[in-house]
Amino acid sequence: MRSRNGNRSISLSICSIIFFSSLALNAGEYLISYRYVVKDAILYNESLSVAKAMKRCDGIPQAAIELETNSSSDLKKIITENSDEFIDYIHKLGMHVKHSDITMNAQYKSTTILTLKTTCFKVDFNDNFARIIPLK
Amino acid sequence: MKRVISSSIFVALITTIITGCSMFAKESSSKDLAEPIPVEREQLTEKETSAPKISNEENCGVQATGPSGEPLLTKECKLVITVLGQGVAPVNTVSPAQAYGLAKRAAIADGYRLIAEKVKGVRVEGNDLIKNMMVKQSTIRTCVDAVIKNANVTETTFKDGLCEVEMEIVVSHSQFAQ
Repeated sequence: MRSRNGNRSISLSICSIIFFSSLALNAGEYLISYRYVVKDAILYNESLSVAKAMKRCDGIPQAAIELETNSSSDLKKIITENSDEFIDYIHKLGMHVKHSDITMNAQYKSTTILTLKTTCFKVDFNDNFARIIPLK
Repeated sequence: MKRVISSSIFVALITTIITGCSMFAKESSSKDLAEPIPVEREQLTEKETSAPKISNEENCGVQATGPSGEPLLTKECKLVITVLGQGVAPVNTVSPAQAYGLAKRAAIADGYRLIAEKVKGVRVEGNDLIKNMMVKQSTIRTCVDAVIKNANVTETTFKDGLCEVEMEIVVSHSQFAQ
């Protein structure tokens, strides 16, 4: 009896180790930045940069977002497929607004730059969803 | 006889010219008075809608107001700032959907700028160059620098290439307590 129970606990622990290690393998930390420029009320330039972090990030996890992966593990592709949802979410995190305008001899010119400064995100890839958690 | 006829014709001509001029003058003066009024009204209504609105959050008991009548931020009451951002679609777009997307993003940026202006403030710098008692160059520069978090888009309209986005942000006293 004892040996049977002992075997069970060992197998259970092995299974749990495999499960958690597989989860850990599918998780990653990414650095994301976003910036767009509006000149005279017209969108001029927009850029979203995604890169895998080369060292561990520190920070407190913030509100997460879940995006559909369609069995892909490429974060850039996932974000591009769900760009509207992700950009709306990014705006909520806090955007740096820099605006300047000039009126010279009654002629008006304006430039507005919205930036999400490079932020570390922890990403967990599941079967159908990627859970993206910002660390701040 | 000829002189009499010619003089009467001359008088008649002068009277017709004078009456014609007076009628024209009346018409032009009435037009001058009538035309500018609707333009001014339109401008007023436009200004009223695009200006940021500040109101207290619902279920707020005591509402403190400033000297201009605008509600003030207190410990008890949160402020709701509502702005109307405007953006224009670029000329060289591939599809109406792309035009809408780009105009909306520009409108959101404008909305963020308006919120930042209201919450953080604007730095204004003016420069006038006067030479020989004449204004040679007049320059006004303004700039805004802020971080905006948790602003919400409440309404979006897109008409004739212009996108208007209504945005609001709730400002609480604790955010400024530091």
